[in-house]
Order: sequence, then structure tokens, then C-alpha cells
Amino acid sequence: MKQFKTVCQLLLDFVRELGDQNAYQRYLAIHSRKHSREEWQRFCAERLSAKYQRAKCC
Amino acid sequence: MKKILGRILWVVLSVVAALCLAGISLNRGEPINSIWLVLAAACTYLLGFRFYAKFIAAKVMVLNNDRATPSERLRNGHDFEPTNKWILFGHHFAAIAGPGPLVGPVLAAQFGYLPGTLWIIIGAVLGGAVQDFVILFSSLRRDGKSLGQMAREEIGKVGGLTALLTVLFIMIILLAVVALVVVNALKGSPWGTFTIAATMPIAIFMGLYLRYWRPGKVLECSVLGFILVVLGILAGQWVSVSSSIAPVFTLSGVALAIAVIVYGFLASALPVWLLLAPRDYLSTFVKLGVVLMLGVGILFVRPQMQLPAFTRFIDGSGPIFAGKIFPFCFITIACGAISGFHSLISSGTTPKMFAKEWHAWPVGYGSMLLESFVAIMAMIAACVLQPGIYFAVNSPGGVVGATPEAAVATVSSWGFPVTTSDMAGLARQVGEQSLFSRTGGAPSLALGMAHIFAKGGGGQAILAFWYHFAIMFEALFILTVIDAGTRVGRFMLQDFLSHIYKPLGRTSWLPGVILTSALIVLAWGYFLYQGVRDPLGGINSLWPLFGIANQLLAAIALCVATTIFIKMHRARYLWITCIPLVWLITVTFTAACQKIFSSDPRIGFLAQADRLESVVESGVAAANLAEMQTLIFNARLDAMVCGIFLLLVTTILVDSFRIWVGILRGTREARVTEAPFVLSRLRPEEL
Repeated sequence: MKQFKTVCQLLLDFVRELGDQNAYQRYLAIHSRKHSREEWQRFCAERLSAKYQRAKCC
Repeated sequence: MKKILGRILWVVLSVVAALCLAGISLNRGEPINSIWLVLAAACTYLLGFRFYAKFIAAKVMVLNNDRATPSERLRNGHDFEPTNKWILFGHHFAAIAGPGPLVGPVLAAQFGYLPGTLWIIIGAVLGGAVQDFVILFSSLRRDGKSLGQMAREEIGKVGGLTALLTVLFIMIILLAVVALVVVNALKGSPWGTFTIAATMPIAIFMGLYLRYWRPGKVLECSVLGFILVVLGILAGQWVSVSSSIAPVFTLSGVALAIAVIVYGFLASALPVWLLLAPRDYLSTFVKLGVVLMLGVGILFVRPQMQLPAFTRFIDGSGPIFAGKIFPFCFITIACGAISGFHSLISSGTTPKMFAKEWHAWPVGYGSMLLESFVAIMAMIAACVLQPGIYFAVNSPGGVVGATPEAAVATVSSWGFPVTTSDMAGLARQVGEQSLFSRTGGAPSLALGMAHIFAKGGGGQAILAFWYHFAIMFEALFILTVIDAGTRVGRFMLQDFLSHIYKPLGRTSWLPGVILTSALIVLAWGYFLYQGVRDPLGGINSLWPLFGIANQLLAAIALCVATTIFIKMHRARYLWITCIPLVWLITVTFTAACQKIFSSDPRIGFLAQADRLESVVESGVAAANLAEMQTLIFNARLDAMVCGIFLLLVTTILVDSFRIWVGILRGTREARVTEAPFVLSRLRPEEL
């Protein structure tokens, strides 16, 4: 049961990583800020501009 | 005891791998079960991973978990962040998995299932995964530097600039060819076109939802987006039978090409949060989900392979693309076995996220093996179709004839019987008007996937849904490649043009953004338009160009890796990178020379131009003289592009060779540009 929980947690972490939600939590923690619409927009501006300067694989 | 059991397990795996490889290689005549391919691939990958990759990691790279990784030393919570190795594995796999390993094997199946399957397995274990692994390692030891930066530092300025130029040219061809795959999949299909068109407003809705209504809720928003896309597929069926709406979404190749070009421009110029990012989230989740579904589906259904091990087209007379098994099978498979583009991903985000050096082993080598496994699944999906249907779908009208009667007669004459009623019945079942000459690989892959999914559940009654679901999946992430690629191409062009006029380099200057976006879109759009108008379906000329370009980029990456190995005093292990490098150079240079100089007009661009010119001179084509002149120009342009690729890679090869010889002779200093050793203090609980 414990192993199953660990795998589920890992999967959830994985999809949250893919969805940039983990990165957003780290961003909030580093800047000691709380979640808000403005914070998310600031995070997106930084994150997405860096993310889409790299090519997608073929 | 545990050690002995482990050894027995590896011996058993080796025997199973050998038996399965022998089974698929020696079997002739009777259809074999796809599970043989799955087992042959899985066992070989496990052996390659456990023994070959571990050898490279331990003896050549000397990975060291005591050495602090860039994510530890430069930790900033953004790019540099120590990440769990399994999360990173999934992240890296999601980044490298593109349309190439799905489409390439489907096209290469024209030679039969055996050549492609063997190359996918062997090529990945000895070439593709090695390239990804060594580049990932090199970047990891250099604070996550890109391939271009490493080429500049390790080989020299000429090598660096050449690598950058090569990437830009490859990007243009890549975008054109994947756009052509989408156009050919949606041509004359109101259901497919409606579904894909619906993903645009859905993506914009998701963008607004994330920005204003539920900021940060990406997973929730993606689930909502997925539900809307599935509703879009269901609505597409209604659209396809509506006499008033269906004609609006029944578009020609040219109209679809223009639509994709306009989309590429908008996606490149609009803010990323509005269209590109939400599409990307959705496409990533759908891509991983469908790949998993296909894997489970194949294991559950275990379909029979209908295509033979070899077809008559190994002699070079193939209808899908012309050229003999060597070199064109290897060029066509491309990303499923070895992909130069992976070297760009392996030297990007991933190296900045490693917690420990040894994590590069599963992430770098293992992810490529998984990608190769996706290629095997694509090969199975293509080969479960009846051969007659496979060739009728994939062969262009210019080869098999423009009418259904002519097409079935031609395909049947090759020894692959098919009737017009077979094709009409199948088209009806999947909700399409016609399945003849749907070149590009996507429709036949979707047919194969739909068959597997339908057998897994729902039966023939929902075949149409699964077919359009598969088309949606392919088009969705191909369009994500197009929009992200156009944007990246724009940045690269802005970087180049800033040397001529400085403001053009500013990514916030609107005229510069519009101009460079337009230039990039026009560049790949021209090749796309050329492919759409090509009487041989476009794939015949564009896919080999893409394959050559992609494999040449892999050759550049291996040159960089070889240089690094020599500088690390690992010259006795050079065969690890040199064997795939020599193979790639042999294959790509042979293919490129044949594409330029072959006297067969179906293969050689120049011979094709000469033949068209003789037709023009004879006066037979007086009615469409302008079109013929364009075709002649296009054939010569393709020859020139091919020549440029060869020239660029020759430059890097010569430059690298000069450095290798200098270091090995002792006339040049072997200066390693690795980041200095720092002892790792990262605790497991910090992950």
C-alpha cells in the first residue's frame, strides 16, 4: 500500500512538473510570495519566454 | 543467491532476445504476431541499457555521484533545480518524443516490417541512445551548455557557427515536412479538419482560463481542455454528415497549407500564454496518454503483422518514396533509431535538473530506448493493416493513378490485392470520404491505431471515433512542433539579423517580430506549398530531405562528443561514438548524393528537373507551362538545400578531424572545458 502511494505521488509530481505547477511552487517559495493572479502572470512571463526559446523535438 | 538469480535473469533475457530476433528475421510467408517484435525490442533494450550503457557510464564517462551537478551548484529554483530521476526521465521523454518516430516507421514499412524493425532496435541501442547519453553527459559537465555552445568551445568558431546554421536550415525543412503530414491527413476530411480547427479556440479558452479565471491550475485546465477536445471529435462526426457545414471544412491541400502557414505566423507572433503554452500542455498530456494506451493496446490485443518481412520495394521502386533499402530505410526511420534533434534537447533543460550524475544513465540512454519503443509500436500499427490497404492509403495518385479503379488495379498488380469496395467500406467505417492516396503516414498510422484500440474495446462501432482520435493526437502535437519551432526559428533569425540592424534582435520590437516571423513562416511555408503541389505527394522529396538533415545533425553531435572524449583522454573508447558517426556519414552522404545526382528522376532532384525540362521543351505541357517551371525550380532548390547540408556537415567534420589529429599527435592542447569538481552535499531528502 505504501509503495502504491509512493508511485501515485511520483506520478502526480510528474504531471505537476509537466504542467509547470511544481516550478510555480518553487518560484513562490524562492521569492517568499503568495499565490495570486499577478504572481502567476509574472511567473508565466519568465517561465514561458525561456521555455519557448527552445525547439520542440521532431 | 540474489546475485546468481540476477545473472540467470540476464541470461534468460539474452536467450529470449536472440530467439525473438531470430524469429522475426527468419520467418517468411506466414504472418507473425506483433508480440515477437515487442519482446525482441524490449529484451534488447534491457540488455543494452544494463550492459552497454552502464559500461559507457562507468568506464568512459566515469560518472561520479560525489560530484555536484549544475542543479546543485547553480540552484536557482527556475532552470537549475535537482529533480527526482523518474520525474526527470518522464520530463525528458516528453521533450524528445515527437512525430518523427511515429511517421518514419510507417513510411519505412513499404520495405516490409523487418528492415525498419531491426534498424530501430540496433540503431537505438548502438547509436541514438549513445548520442543522447553522451551529449547529455557533456552538457551536464558544462553547466547545461547547448550543442552550439559546446561545438564552438570544443571544435572552434567555425564549428559553432556551422552548427547554428545547420540547426536553422534543418528547422525549416522539419517544419515543412511535419506540416505536410498534417495537411495530407486533413485533406478532404471535414471531420478531421473540424476537430483540429476546434483545438484553436479550445487552446485560447484554456489560455484565458489559466491567466484570468483559475491562474496556476494547469492540470485542471488541461483536463477541461481534453474533455472539450473529445467533444470536438464527437461534434466532428455531426459536422461531417451535415450537408451545409461539411463543405466548409472539406478543404483542399493548398487551402489547408495556407491555413497552417497563417496559424504558424499567429502562434509565433501572439503572446505565448494565449495559444502556444495551453496547446503545449494539452498536447504533452495527450501524447503521453496515447503512447501509453497504444503500448497497453498492443500487449492486450497482440495483433498479427499483415505486411511481409520484405516487400518487392527493397529494389528502390517503392511507391511511397523512391530509393533502395540502403540508404533510404535508415534515412526514413530517422528519429526512431537516432535523432540529431535530441542533441538539442539533451543539451537544454534536462542537464540543469540532474540531482546526481548517475541519473544521466536512465534519463539519457533510457529515454531514447523508450522513444525507440514508440517507433516499434508505430511500425506494428502500420503493419497490422492489410498490405493492399496500406499501399492504397500511402501511395500518391501520381504513382498509382488518380481514380479508385486505377489505384486498386496498380496496388493489386504489385501482389497486394485490394478492391474499391474494401477501401470504400473502410472509409465509411472511419467516417472519411476516401482513403486513397492519403500520403504522409498519419492516416495509415491512425487506421492501425484505431484497429488496435477498437479491438481493445468498443469494436468496429467506434472505429471512426478512434481513427479521428488518433488523427487529433498526431495533428495536435505536430502543430505544437510547428508553433514552437516557428518561434524558435524567429529567435534564431532575429539573432542573426541583429548583426545587420540592431533593433531586429529585440524580441519586444513589434516590426522586428512581425518581419522575422513572416520570414520564417515563408521559408517553411514555401517548402510546404511545394510538397502539397508535388504530383508525387511531396513526401517523396521532403521526408528524405528531413531525414538527411536530421541524421546530419546527429553526426554533428557525435563529432562534438568524439572531440570531448579525445580531450578527456578516452581515445581508446572512441569506437563508441565513431561507429555510429561513420555509419551516419556513410548513410547520409550516400542518400544526399543519390538525392542530388541519381539519374532516376524519382530519386535524383536534378534528373527530375531535367526530365521536366525536356517535357517543357517538347511542348507537351504548354497548357501548364508556369506550373512546370515551378516544379523545375523546386527540384533544383531541393538539390541545392541537400548540397548545403552536405557542405555544412563536411565543414564540421573537417574542422573536428583537424582537432582530433592535432590532439592525438600531441601538437594541440587537449583543454577540457568541464566545470571544476565540487563535492556534492545534496541530501536525499532534498529531492
